[in-house]
Amino acid sequence: MASDKIIKSRFFFEDEVEEKLAEVPTEEPDSWQADEKLAKVGKPYSRIDGYDKVSGTARYAFDMHLPNMAQAKTLRCPLAHARIKGIDTRKAEKLSGVLAVLTHRNTPEIKWYGTSFLFDTHLRYEGDEVACVIAETESIAEQAIKLINVDYEELDHVVDAKEAMQDSAPKLYDSGNIRNGEPGTYSRGEVEKGFAQADTVIEDTYRTQIAIHNPTEVHCSVVNWDGDRLTVWDSTQGIFRVRDGVANSLNIPLNSVRVIKKYMGGGFGSKLEAGKYTVMAALAAKQIGRPVRITLDRKEMNLAVGNRPDSVQTLKGGVKKDGTLTALFHHSYGAIGAHPSNAQCSWPLKSMYKCDNVKVEEYSVYINAGRARPFRAPGHVQGFFALESLLDDLAEKINMDPLEFRLKNYADKDQVYNIPYTSKVLREAYQKGADAIGWQNRSEKPGSGRGPVKRGIGMSSQIWWGGGGPPAYATLKLNRDGTLRVIAGTQDIGTGTYTFMAQVAAEALELPMEKVEVILGDTAVAPYCGASGGSTTAPSVSPAVRNAAENMKAKLISGAAAHLEVPESQLTYQKGMVNHKTNTDKSIAIDQLVREMGEQVMVSIGKRGANPEGYMINTFGAQFADVQVDTETGKIRVNKIVAAHDIGRVLNVKTLENQMHGGVIQGLSFALMEERVIDRYTGKVVTFNMHDYKMPTIMDMPDIEMFIVSGGDPKISSTGVKGVGEPAMIPTPAAIANAVYNAIGVRIKQLPMTPDKVLNALYR
Amino acid sequence: MAKNKKNSRSMSRRDFMKGFGSGVVGGSIMLQTLHAAPPPTTGTFKDESNRVELTLKVNGKLVQTKITPHTTLIELIRDKLALTGTKVVCNHGECGACTVLLDGRAVYSCHMLALDAHGKEVITVEGLMQGEELHPLQEAFIEKDGMQCGFCTPGQIMAAQGLLNEHPHPNREQILKGMSGNICRCSAYPKIADSVVAAAKK
Amino acid sequence: MKSFSYHQPKDIREASNLLGDNWQDALLNAGGTDLLGLIKHDIEKPDHLVNLKAVKDLDKVRYQEGKGLSIGALVKLNDLAAMDIVQNKYTVLAEALQETASPQLRNMGTIGGNLCQRPRCWYFRGDFDCLRKGGELCFAADGENKYHCISGGGPCFIVHPSDPAVALLALDASVTIAGKDREYTVPLHDFFVLPEDDVMRENILQPHEIVTRIHVPDLPSNTRSGYIKFKERDVWDFAVVSVAAVLRMGSERIEGGTMAFGGVAPKPWMEKTINDALNRMEVTDTNLDSLAQIAFTDALPLAQNGYKIPLVRNLIKRVIRTLNA
Repeated sequence: MASDKIIKSRFFFEDEVEEKLAEVPTEEPDSWQADEKLAKVGKPYSRIDGYDKVSGTARYAFDMHLPNMAQAKTLRCPLAHARIKGIDTRKAEKLSGVLAVLTHRNTPEIKWYGTSFLFDTHLRYEGDEVACVIAETESIAEQAIKLINVDYEELDHVVDAKEAMQDSAPKLYDSGNIRNGEPGTYSRGEVEKGFAQADTVIEDTYRTQIAIHNPTEVHCSVVNWDGDRLTVWDSTQGIFRVRDGVANSLNIPLNSVRVIKKYMGGGFGSKLEAGKYTVMAALAAKQIGRPVRITLDRKEMNLAVGNRPDSVQTLKGGVKKDGTLTALFHHSYGAIGAHPSNAQCSWPLKSMYKCDNVKVEEYSVYINAGRARPFRAPGHVQGFFALESLLDDLAEKINMDPLEFRLKNYADKDQVYNIPYTSKVLREAYQKGADAIGWQNRSEKPGSGRGPVKRGIGMSSQIWWGGGGPPAYATLKLNRDGTLRVIAGTQDIGTGTYTFMAQVAAEALELPMEKVEVILGDTAVAPYCGASGGSTTAPSVSPAVRNAAENMKAKLISGAAAHLEVPESQLTYQKGMVNHKTNTDKSIAIDQLVREMGEQVMVSIGKRGANPEGYMINTFGAQFADVQVDTETGKIRVNKIVAAHDIGRVLNVKTLENQMHGGVIQGLSFALMEERVIDRYTGKVVTFNMHDYKMPTIMDMPDIEMFIVSGGDPKISSTGVKGVGEPAMIPTPAAIANAVYNAIGVRIKQLPMTPDKVLNALYR
Repeated sequence: MAKNKKNSRSMSRRDFMKGFGSGVVGGSIMLQTLHAAPPPTTGTFKDESNRVELTLKVNGKLVQTKITPHTTLIELIRDKLALTGTKVVCNHGECGACTVLLDGRAVYSCHMLALDAHGKEVITVEGLMQGEELHPLQEAFIEKDGMQCGFCTPGQIMAAQGLLNEHPHPNREQILKGMSGNICRCSAYPKIADSVVAAAKK
Repeated sequence: MKSFSYHQPKDIREASNLLGDNWQDALLNAGGTDLLGLIKHDIEKPDHLVNLKAVKDLDKVRYQEGKGLSIGALVKLNDLAAMDIVQNKYTVLAEALQETASPQLRNMGTIGGNLCQRPRCWYFRGDFDCLRKGGELCFAADGENKYHCISGGGPCFIVHPSDPAVALLALDASVTIAGKDREYTVPLHDFFVLPEDDVMRENILQPHEIVTRIHVPDLPSNTRSGYIKFKERDVWDFAVVSVAAVLRMGSERIEGGTMAFGGVAPKPWMEKTINDALNRMEVTDTNLDSLAQIAFTDALPLAQNGYKIPLVRNLIKRVIRTLNA
C-alpha cells in the first residue's frame, strides 16, 4: 500500500468554501465507472436503522436518561432589544427542587459569536439567553424561570433589514448594522456594456421570507462529567464541531470531551454548531455534580436556533433577441438577525447560466431577531426564485420558450472560476423533466385557462456543489466470525447514512448486508468526518468506506498469502474468500483467516481521496411544476413536481427518493406556506408555534416523479457520488412560481405565495 | 392486518374491565360505568401533596399511580413509565408526534391531562410490539421507508393504527385525512402514505 | 404547566358551585384541547379544574322528528360528525365538524368546548399584554392582522375560531346554559358577544355557568346545507373565511335560507341583507353576482386583511352553486 500525504483540501460546505488540511491516500482503487453494474450500491435496501425508529427504541438525545439526572431550562429575553440592569434570582433559587441558577453574574465570561458572550448583558433579540435554571424536574425549572426578576432597560429595536440599513436606525453594534460595513461584491466582464448590447432589459424586485428550520427534535443535550471528562449526548449534525466548540468554551482539552449522537430528529442546517445550551448544561452539571439534560421548547426553536434569512433582491437582466444573455445584475439585502451570519444569495445568478457580464452587490444586515444559520441550500433557494422568475419574464419578452431560453444559455464550464465541471448531465434532466410534465402541452399564453381554477406549468434549473471532499475517514473492523463493523465520525441525520455505508462496505467486500454493522456519531471511537451539511456526507464518506474496504481486501490477500504460502499475486478476493487463481485447494474464508492470525479483529482504515485539480464539482438538475390556482380563493395547489437531477451515483434509490420527496415538499412549503412573522412595533415573533408557523401536512404533498439522469462520476472519487440533500429543494419554489405565473398571468414576486397575496394580485 | 387484530395488545373492553376488577361488561355500559367507576369518581382529586390517584392501562399493563393533576398524559408515559418511544415535538397538540391510542382512538398525549385517561386504555408505539417482534404496521413503515430522521415516526405509526382501527380498508382520501394530524418536517409524506397503504393490505 | 387541583362533580349544580364566581379561580375542562394550550401559555391560570365527565347525559345525542337535534356538550366532535342523522340532515354541521382541527383533536375535543374556545389571535396567544387579557392595547389593530376580522371589530379585532358555531348559527341553533341557580336556553345568535360589549369574553357565560346542550331545530325536507371553509393549510388550520349555508330549495329558485360566516368577525357572523336576498332567489350568475356585491359592504378591513372581502364574496357564490348543483 502506498503511503498517504497531507494536502490543502478546499470544497464548498453549505455556501462557503471550507479549507482544511486533510490526509489523503496517494493511490486509490479505480473508481467505479459511470455505468458500472454493482450488486448492492444503488439498490433499494431498507434502512438498517429502521427497526429502532419504528419500534420506538431509537434513543435520541431527547430520550437520554441518566441516573440522578437534573433538568435545565433557559430564561430568554422577552424584548427585542434590552440591557440587563439588574437580575434577582433569589426567589427562583428558593423554590423547592431548584438546584442552580446560572446568569452572567456567576459564570465565566465565555465568548460567543465573536463579540458577545454566553450570557451577555446586552440582549439583542427576543430569545437572547438571560439565565439557566437547573432543577429536579422540567416542570420545576419552568416554574423557577418565572420567578427570576430581571430589570431590563428597554432599547430601541429594528426588525426590518431595510430600516436597519438607515443611518437613523437603532444600532445593534457600534460598527453599524451592515455586516463588515460593506456589501459583498462580485463582477466579471463589463455589465454596463452587456446591458447596452441587449435588445431587452428587465429589472424587477423579488422578496423571500424568513423561514425557521423547526426540526421535530428540539435542540437538546444531556451532559455528564466523570471528573474532568465530559460526555455530551447532543442532537447535532456535527459531533466534532460540538466537541470543539464545547471544549473551547470550557477551556478544556479536546480529549476531555466526548460527543455522541446516534439518532437525531432533523436539523436542516440548524444543528451544525455547538449550542449555548450545551455549555450552560455542562457548567451546571459541574457545579451540582450531577448529569444534566437541557431541552429547548418549540417557542425557543422558533426564536433562537436559526433561520433562513429573508431577501430583497433586485435583479436586472439583458438579453438579445436570439436569447443570448448579455448581462446580469444582482443587488440584494437580507436580515441575518442579531449575530454574524450570511444573507448572500447571488450564487445562482453567478453560476447557473452562461453570461459574460455579471455584477453583484449584496448586504447582510443585523436586526433585532434570532440569528440566521445555514438552512438547506442557503442562498440558493431564495436566489433561484428571483433568477428563474426573471428568466421566464425575459423569455416571454423575446417570445422564446423558457426551456429553449435556458438551453440557449447553457454553461459548459464553471462561470466563476472558468474551469470545467467534472460532469454535467443537465440537458438530459431538462429532456426527461419536460417529457414527464408534458411541457409541450404548456399554455404559451399565461392566464388563458378557462374557469376559476387555472392550471399552469413552470420549471427551474438547479446548481449546487455537493461534491464533498477530504478529510473523511472510515475504520473497518473484521471480526473472527466474518462480520464487519464500519466506524466513522459522520452522522446519519435521517438521510440514510447508516444504510449506504453498509452497502458500500458490503459491495466492496462482497459480503451480505446482514454481516455489516455501522457505528457513527461518537467522537471518542470514530475517525474524523465533517459535519452533515451541504450535501457533502455521502460524497465525502462513501469513498472513505470503499477505500477502507479495498485496504481490508489487500490485508486479507496478504494474510492469505502468508498462511497458504503462495505469492500474493496468485490470490484473488471473492465473496468472503481468498482464492488461488488456479489451485482450488488453496483458498481460505476470511473468518478462518482472521482466526488463523490469532486475532479477534482485523482493522483497516480508508481515507477520502483528494478532489481532482482544476475542476468544479457540481450537482445539476431541473424541476417542473404543474399547479392549479383557484382564482376565487387565491389557493395554489401543486399537482405534480417532476424532479430530474444529476447527482452522480445513486447509493440507495429508496432513501434517495425519500430525500428527494422531502426536499421538494420543503421547497413547496417555502413557496406557499411557511413564514416567520415579527410584530414590528414590539419586535416580537408572533409565529412561535406549529400552528401559526405553517408547515405542510400529508394533505399538501404533490405527486412527485424523480429521474436521476447521472451515473457515477469517476473524476470525483472512488465511488463517484455527489450529494442530493440541497439539490432536491433548490429549484422547487422557483418552478412553482413560474407555474403560477403560467396559470394566472400575474407574477407573484414575494414568497410565500399565500392566498392573500394571490387575491391582492388578482383583485388589485 | 388480520394478524394484528388477533395479536394486538389492544385489549377487548371486557379484558380491560377485568383488569379493573369490575364485573361490568359490554361497551356502552362500560362507558358509563367508567365515569362512575373506580374511586375517586366524583369529588376532588387531591391528597395532602395535591397528588391524585390514577388508574389506567398502558400497553396491556395496569398502572396505578399517584400524580399531580397537571401532569399530561405524555409526561406520565415518558417520565413516569419511561416509555420514550412517544415523542414531544410541539407540546401543544399541533404536530402529532405524541400520538397514542386512547381506547383505540388516536389522541395527542401532550395535550391532554393524564387524569383524563383515568379508567381508559392507552397504547403507545411500544405496545404494538410482541416482545422484540415488530407489528405488521411497523414492518410496513420499514419496507416502504416511511421515515427519515424517525423522530415523528412513532406518532405517525400510532396515527396510522388509529386510522386502521376506524377504517380497516381505507381509501386514499381516508388515509390522507387520517394521517393529516401528524407533521413530518423531513416531509417523508409520500412514503408514509405508501406505508399505510401497504399495512392496510397486510 | 401551572399546577391546579382537579374536581369531578357528579352533577351540574355541584359543578357550577365549584366553578364559583371568579374566572381566575376555576375553569371547566371538557376535551381540554383549548384549555391546556391556554394554561401552558399562562393565559389562563386556574387554581381548580372542573371536569364534567361524571355528569350524566352530557355525552348523549338525541334526535326527534319535528323537534330536531339535541346535542350534549361533551359529545366528541368526531362522534357527532360520524352520526348518520348529522351527515344526512345537518350536512352543514357535519362538514364543519370534519373541517375542524385534526383527526386527533376531533377525537379529543367536545362540541361544548369547541363553542367556548378562546380566540386564536397570535397576540392573544402570545406574550403580549393585549386588551383581551386586560391590557391596554390591541396589537393587531396596527400590527400583523392578515387573519383578523373585517366586520364587528373594535376595540379588539379577533375572529371567532369555531367552525361548528358558524354551522350552528346558520341552523338557528340555541344553547342551554346551567348555572348556580337557573337553567336557560338562548339562541346561539345571542350567545356570542362582540368586543364592544365585552372585550375580554367571547360569549355571555358567567364564571359559574356551563353550556350543557345544543339544540338544532328540525329542517324541512327540501333543505340543503353545506359548509365551505377556506384555510391556508388543508388541515389543522382555522378559517381564513368560512361560509355556512342552509337553503330551502324550490324547484326553480331558493325559497329562503340562512348564511353564516366564520373568519370575518369576532363572533360567528350573519348579514341580514344576505339572508333577505336569499328569499325566492333564482340561482343565476347575475343574481349570484348581485348577492355577492351586497355582502360585507359595511366591512372595515384592516391594513392586511382586505383580501377577505373578495374571498368571502366568492365563497358565497360557490356555496350556493354547490348546493344548487
